Amino acid sequence: MLRKFLKEPLVHFLGGALLVFAFFWATGSNRDPAEYTISIDETDIERLKAGWVQNFRRAPTQAELDALIDQEIAEEIYYREALRLGLDKNDPVIRRRLFTKMRFVDGEDSAIPEPTDALLQQWMDENPGKYALPSLYDFEQIYLGQISVADARDRIDQLNDGTPPSAFAQPLSRPGALARASSAEIGRQFGDRFAEQLEKLEPGVWSGPVISGFGAHAVRISAKVPGQKADLADVRQQVVNDWRATRLAKQKEEALAAYRTQYEVTVAGRP
Amino acid sequence: MRKSLMLAACTAALALSGCSKINGDEDRSAEVVNTEYPEQVFWGDTHLHTDNSIDAFGFGNRLDAENALRFARGEEVTATKGSKARLSRPLDFLVIADHSDAMGATKAIMEAPRFALLANKFLLRWHDMMNESDEGSMRVTAELIDGAAKGTLPASLTDPEESRERTADLWKKHGATVDQYNEPGKFTAFMGFEYTSMPDGDNLHRVVMFRDSPDKMGDTIPYGALGSQDPEKLWAYMAAYEQKTGGKVLAIPHNSNVSNGRMFAMNKFDGSPIDAAYVKTRALREPIVEVTQIKGDSETHPFLSPNDEFANFGVAGWDKCNLSCTRDMAPETYAGSYAREALKRGLELTLAIGANPFKFGMIGSTDSHTSLATADENNFFGKHSGNEANNSARGLDPQNLGTREGRFGWHYLASGYAAVWATSNTREAIFDAMMRREVYATTGPRMQVRFFGGFDFSADDTADLVKAGYTKGVPMGGDLTGGDGEAPKFLISALMDPESASLDRIQVIKGWVDATGKSQEKVYNVSWSDAGTRKLGADGKLSPVPNTVDLAKGTWDNATGAPELVTFWQDPDFDAAQNAFYYVRVLEIPTPTWPVYDAMKFNLKLPDDVIKIQQERAYSSPIWYTPKA
Repeated sequence: MLRKFLKEPLVHFLGGALLVFAFFWATGSNRDPAEYTISIDETDIERLKAGWVQNFRRAPTQAELDALIDQEIAEEIYYREALRLGLDKNDPVIRRRLFTKMRFVDGEDSAIPEPTDALLQQWMDENPGKYALPSLYDFEQIYLGQISVADARDRIDQLNDGTPPSAFAQPLSRPGALARASSAEIGRQFGDRFAEQLEKLEPGVWSGPVISGFGAHAVRISAKVPGQKADLADVRQQVVNDWRATRLAKQKEEALAAYRTQYEVTVAGRP
Repeated sequence: MRKSLMLAACTAALALSGCSKINGDEDRSAEVVNTEYPEQVFWGDTHLHTDNSIDAFGFGNRLDAENALRFARGEEVTATKGSKARLSRPLDFLVIADHSDAMGATKAIMEAPRFALLANKFLLRWHDMMNESDEGSMRVTAELIDGAAKGTLPASLTDPEESRERTADLWKKHGATVDQYNEPGKFTAFMGFEYTSMPDGDNLHRVVMFRDSPDKMGDTIPYGALGSQDPEKLWAYMAAYEQKTGGKVLAIPHNSNVSNGRMFAMNKFDGSPIDAAYVKTRALREPIVEVTQIKGDSETHPFLSPNDEFANFGVAGWDKCNLSCTRDMAPETYAGSYAREALKRGLELTLAIGANPFKFGMIGSTDSHTSLATADENNFFGKHSGNEANNSARGLDPQNLGTREGRFGWHYLASGYAAVWATSNTREAIFDAMMRREVYATTGPRMQVRFFGGFDFSADDTADLVKAGYTKGVPMGGDLTGGDGEAPKFLISALMDPESASLDRIQVIKGWVDATGKSQEKVYNVSWSDAGTRKLGADGKLSPVPNTVDLAKGTWDNATGAPELVTFWQDPDFDAAQNAFYYVRVLEIPTPTWPVYDAMKFNLKLPDDVIKIQQERAYSSPIWYTPKA
């Protein structure tokens, strides 16, 4: 795709224009050394011919080609004169157009390589929270209904004193026990709020109340496998996607930052 | 000449957006274990537009498919208008359904070098308008929609051969992105597109979704309505695809509320009567429909269901005129625009022709054009990028794009999602569940709804409802026949979304054909909260659940409703000789609509006519009863 793009005549043309801009920016001299030199070389002529053929399905005659070249020269002269007159300034269409072009050129110049495992591993190490395997819980729960926290505490105390769960359990079509359940799985069954509360519960006893959208629950955790670092193999696809997406975003930021260091920017109201 | 210029422009613009993609790994679905029954409900959106849709891009959407997929998977993304966007809970699957007609074209026109368009005054004007300002871009989009409705678009946009190369290139790249985010067992990304048939502005759109991975699709590219507006031609395309590749594909009619009565018309596209071949093909190709989405709700209408006090949900603003508002819709046309009536028509056609063209399951989806699949009231990113969450005027602004009149921002619903009972979160399992219609629609909340029908259930079966349901009956979407004259029995449960509101009630909606051959409907209240104090009246009506919404705070009291409702129900009015269908509607207790959250956030005063309180809901797929031959 890049090669196809580089063949585009317009890209050559814009590339040239960008060089002119770059020169102004880099030197600050406000003077283009080739200011009044225009040369139409063989490549340009081939491009003009190709454009003609595409439109008219035949090669141009010599007279037609000459007219095309003259048109090209005229365009170039007007283009440069327009720049000298500053007609490109404060024209939102031209501004946005050049912005888009620059963004593209910056992005394409540093195409993202296929990430190696070492690179991905490094990325994972730099973002440990994102790829940690969650804690896994073995637990039982009793749904106590939509009752007050005080009432729920009272019932949980009774459970711990030996009252059977059937004395309090309200019907709810959620599992009474889950084994090796991740917080995502628990969240699916009981909502995220419920899942978040498991972390701080004391194992081995009925505790809570754990409040979900359904109401109050008594929970007894029997085992907890703490969260651990994921292996690359377990989360490879996600890592590749995240790495790529971040890499692309970073590329844009870096390009802007590189230009930006050359500018002194003041904004009203900003320190 | 104009055509080749357009192609050159588009090719160049596509090159601009090109970037390397990493190919998906080998097929990982082999590792995913399918459960014995469809034990889990998976949540998704089958109808989402990205910057590859001509209108979405024109509306200003600059988020691509990758952003859409990342958002659906739960990642934070920056929305087009600059605010951070994230779902509180990720989705399980996504169908990006960009418009097939002129796919990627507005992006291409805007990004094309101006030079390449100089000879095409029409496209040049659009190019300049789009580059100039957001308003210009919106005007272009309005002209596009209007032009598509009136058939006045330039040939360079409408010629399918012309756009084939561009579309094929784009489709291939899109496939690579979709594969990259498809992770069997964790998240399913489907290939799909939207077929945008819109004769005279009447909405006959279909979302088309594939069961297959992009590399199995060969040279099949999305089929455009500019190829033909006749859905039968789309079905032929689908059949050809399946024959050629051995793959599978289905179509989802949607948003029938603005079809001007044509989505479920009693005749074919050309006006001739429906025949047996049409019935068979339609039933095969369109197993489910989208019954609720941002552009309103299509379950039923008060005109069609005068005895249903909940029939007015999501109809305001949408029942006046067709999609492009080029035609007013008379109430006499509503019958072909709403799903319940279509299900009834399906029964009548079964008797007349021997088969049912409208035997569909029901899902919801967003139809969002922001690349963000949001259906929650407090996190609603709107229909298009001009309506994103940071636009304080979006609720009250008129939506008069082009010739659209009479609709305001608040008419849009933060709706809906598709719920699928499947054996695993894979393309195969979810697609197959849709084919057997084991799906339901919600207006956003993720309540869990189970619905089984059979002749052998007893009230005790509610104790182990799922097992009894599958072993002694059929799930939603299924068929019942026989029964030796005994009325069918149903096991129904609804569990509230633990992050949303508790439940008001479960209703069963029955449609049947009476002795005179005319279809009828009845709504039964079968289970409700506070059953100790709320009793059915002689007319079968139930007192409303109390409204606890605090409009200043955007809160409500879940203690008012029930966390879960489970019931056994047998049809008290059964006639074994009559064809019938039954589906379930679950209502939440009243909650605030999204404009209320906007009003809180932006300190707005909402006019009286803005709907501020609603009862969100779920619609199950029907179970059909057919008398023994």
